[in-house]
Amino acid sequence: MAHSSASAGDSPPPSSPDTTQNNLQHFFVLHKASEKLTCSWKARKRLDLSPTKLKPEKKEWDERCLRMEAFQLVWSGIDSTIKDVLRNMNARVFNDIHSWVRDSFNTNTIKPFPPPSPIVTHQLFTAFLLTKNMEFVDDFLTFQELGLFLKSHGCHVANLSSFDFSPNNGIAGCLTSLLRQFLMRTFDAADMSILASWYSHQGNYGSPVVVIINDMERCCGPVLSDFILMLSEWIVKIPVILIMGVATTLDAPSNILPSNVLKKLCPCKFTLGSPAERMDAVVEAALVRQCSGFAVGQKVAIFLRNYFLNQDGTLTSFFRALKIACVQHFSTEPLSFMLGQLLAKEDSKGLQSEKVVKGASEILLHARDQMAEQTDIPIAHCLTELKRLQMVWSSIVLCLYEAGKCGKIQLLDLFCETLDPDIYTSLASDNPTGIGESLATSLSRDHCMLEQDLSFRKGQTICQVVRKVRDLPAALLCQLLKSWEVLTVDVPEIHHKVKELQALLKFEGGSCKPDFTDVCRRHTSHSPVKIGKSQSINGKAAILVDCMVRYFMRPIECIQCHEIVCFRNVEKLQSALIGDSRKRIQVDLLEFHKILRCSCCSRSGNIPLSSMPDTSIVYTLAQEHGDLINLHDWFQSFKTIASQPRRKGGCKLKQSPLPKRRKEVNESENRSEASIQARFCRAITELQITGLIRMPSKKRRDSVQRVAFGL
Amino acid sequence: MEMNDGDNEEFGLSRNYFLAKELRGSGKRSHSKLSDIDVVDEQELIAAVSKIEPKHEKEVKELMNSYKSSYPEWAFELRCGLGLLMYGFGSKKALLEDFASTSLTEYSVVVVNGYLPGINIKQVVAALAELLWDQLKSKRKNPGSSSKVQQPFSSRSVDDLLAFLDEERKNECFLCVVIHNIDGPGLRDSETQQVLARVASCSHIRMVASIDHVNAPLLWDKKMVHTQFNWCWHHVPTFAPYKIEGMLIPLILAHGNTTQSAKSATIVLQSLTSNAQSVFKVLAEYQLSHSNEEGMPVDNLYASCRERFLVSSQLTLNSHLTEFKDHELVKTKRNSDGQDCLHIPLTNEALEKLIAELSQ
Repeated sequence: MAHSSASAGDSPPPSSPDTTQNNLQHFFVLHKASEKLTCSWKARKRLDLSPTKLKPEKKEWDERCLRMEAFQLVWSGIDSTIKDVLRNMNARVFNDIHSWVRDSFNTNTIKPFPPPSPIVTHQLFTAFLLTKNMEFVDDFLTFQELGLFLKSHGCHVANLSSFDFSPNNGIAGCLTSLLRQFLMRTFDAADMSILASWYSHQGNYGSPVVVIINDMERCCGPVLSDFILMLSEWIVKIPVILIMGVATTLDAPSNILPSNVLKKLCPCKFTLGSPAERMDAVVEAALVRQCSGFAVGQKVAIFLRNYFLNQDGTLTSFFRALKIACVQHFSTEPLSFMLGQLLAKEDSKGLQSEKVVKGASEILLHARDQMAEQTDIPIAHCLTELKRLQMVWSSIVLCLYEAGKCGKIQLLDLFCETLDPDIYTSLASDNPTGIGESLATSLSRDHCMLEQDLSFRKGQTICQVVRKVRDLPAALLCQLLKSWEVLTVDVPEIHHKVKELQALLKFEGGSCKPDFTDVCRRHTSHSPVKIGKSQSINGKAAILVDCMVRYFMRPIECIQCHEIVCFRNVEKLQSALIGDSRKRIQVDLLEFHKILRCSCCSRSGNIPLSSMPDTSIVYTLAQEHGDLINLHDWFQSFKTIASQPRRKGGCKLKQSPLPKRRKEVNESENRSEASIQARFCRAITELQITGLIRMPSKKRRDSVQRVAFGL
Repeated sequence: MEMNDGDNEEFGLSRNYFLAKELRGSGKRSHSKLSDIDVVDEQELIAAVSKIEPKHEKEVKELMNSYKSSYPEWAFELRCGLGLLMYGFGSKKALLEDFASTSLTEYSVVVVNGYLPGINIKQVVAALAELLWDQLKSKRKNPGSSSKVQQPFSSRSVDDLLAFLDEERKNECFLCVVIHNIDGPGLRDSETQQVLARVASCSHIRMVASIDHVNAPLLWDKKMVHTQFNWCWHHVPTFAPYKIEGMLIPLILAHGNTTQSAKSATIVLQSLTSNAQSVFKVLAEYQLSHSNEEGMPVDNLYASCRERFLVSSQLTLNSHLTEFKDHELVKTKRNSDGQDCLHIPLTNEALEKLIAELSQ
């Protein structure tokens, strides 16, 4: 069919011969890098922040550089925090695996007599690492980390994946990959003897050789079997230890491998943490503790949660969503660069802080008109307050999470709720008096009012936490108060109350033994505030939760200058993360006038007009057909519409003036017929490119098939 | 609420589908033939396609210009390590190249035309490595690469090339790859997509790509989307005609596809020996005279050809048949008696035309 490419030459775009040539090449170099100033750290250091010295044309560039720099600083913080969290979660399993590797290796090399070691029976020590997660993408990093961990402990490690075990390449594929990773070279003829001789060299011998297969279930069974059999044959020369990731259950190996291969394995089992646990740990470190100062608004948080729960379910997607949010924040929010300055200031212990803030305030004046009303507030004060309130919020959320842990409350749910500005404003409007006074009043209440106040509003998870606290057994309450004590160190008001509750608990003779010295000392220094006089300890703890939520849990969006650190544009994030090509391309065709904003076609409704783009006419007509569209009929309807005179004000149509001679009439008719056919052909080709129709087949030559039904 | 919306949407979709199916079976289906259209001469049609008057030229131009304001944002996203994926109706070729030439001047930019068939992805990767090598060399004398510098890039394996592109180096040096139609026919297979995903994840590469097919996202699994391509989607309908992207797609009215296949069959046959041509003619004549049958049994063909002294043994016939099958001129089917039958996958009109041309 490629012969029709002849048409390529006949329809060149209005461009130079060079471009036409490029269009027909598989690939070409558009241009080479110019030696322009790039946004790099070194370049930045030379920049003077004082805006008075900036030339206007350079200013925009510098601002962009500042924001880029801020992004790099913030994102590297988030990135490394998340990786650390995941690494710490896996640390225990990794240590177990390492000691197992050592034990297995010693069993292999030191041959005790008389019990036969697996090496005699040609068995391979094999660890099955259960990932508890069908989404392999989340464990990709785990296996990489495991490899690095074992390498750092003196093992030779190779990471293989299911791609190395494809039926196309067979066993040669995995061998090549092994040789590449161990010997750092590529060999034309991959052979196990090369590996064995490498291992016998001084320096390599004496360390365990570990082969990690990330996703065992996805490997081609026969290739994996051959691979295991081959390794077991060579085990005397090179005692390989296998680690295989299993996403489902321990039955998987027996389903994939035949029994003679299974006999060659000497198995052992390890288990990783579940995705939900990991998710909570990541949310805690990255968003609640705010390792890098970047925050998200409530709508974004809810979107992230729904995206994780309903759409994708992988931590990796959450990670990507967070990155896109972060990028968009720094690319669209003019003030965002200050977050970088704040972090940089922290790092260098206040170096040039005054200068930074001064420079920032000036840039701020230029950058943001809507902030004009706030310019009388010193920006430095704003930022300090923002940080303080954020820290308090974070402590309270962690306290609630700690309390909710026994009730299996997910941090992600709690996180979304604690960011809700509505909850905060509604609770705050109930207490028009100052915080100190209201706090004292609330604390001396007889029961927690939070559930009543939140019953008609949102806040289900917070209410659950309150209920949980009320029902907590004394021993657990004692533990909870201990963790609260640690979490609220930076919020003195709450910290004191927690200590008092602890003292009361000790007096009441719960599971904790009373610590009289501590209590007496505190009694001399503070007068005890009576929390809910007639209440039990649990009731009092619930009242304390009430006060925490009411007075201290101020969501980021209710804090001044939150624009600097908080990303709120959920629509933008959603469209960048999930491109709904199937729907959007159809909408483009059917509602093109909304995008093109032309005057001629906007009022047509669903009736196709001749002024519309041909592909839109053809696709609108296609909507009237069933799943098969008869090409002849389709063409005839197109022709009827295309030959209508165009509306006034629309695009010009070259209507041929009434011809005088018959010959001319025929010619112009012919021409217009050819042009209509050509337009129809082009429209069909375009629909074919978008994949909205399936082309005629040999069985049905006269019709195309519709692919999309409805948006 | 969201769940309800989703359910409704799904319900709407399935309802539409079944309605469409019903419409097909309700007897209203038209039986008009494509051949009933009085199609103008093919050359004239091709000429007319090249002269199609653009509609809404002004608006399309304004739309294209309106995207210029997003260039800094796109460049920012690219620098942050995201990949840009452009979608929406209309050719995005000009848009992407304009973006690359105005906003990505600090990077070397390689353009891949995914709409062309037969792209050798290894060559692309080798070219990228070559370009990076040049760039590193120009920045400092010793680019600090691996020891295999002496080996030319074109003879290295894809793994080696990717390792070179992903090698950690101190200086920030990026290449930008612009891929038109990453879902195009030349790149659509899964192996190529895997290589592209690995290219996109290399530390020295930034990727900008466009898709046009509504089902393009099905090409990628979660690992590719979230960790390798790292796509940031942008809806940028341009309504520009797909002139270049569509140039290799046959026109639907160009006599269906029969002319095309008859023409290509003629070209193939003319390159074969006269005996082979005659064998084909025997088969074609049989098919024309027995159009109701499944095809010509192989034994019959052998007997007829032997009678006419076209072949001397079954072996010679088989070699001709292999040649035909390789060029998809002939297909084998088994008939109801269990005999292997040979069949030319062309319409009778096309066959007649073909025989006429061969006899000339």
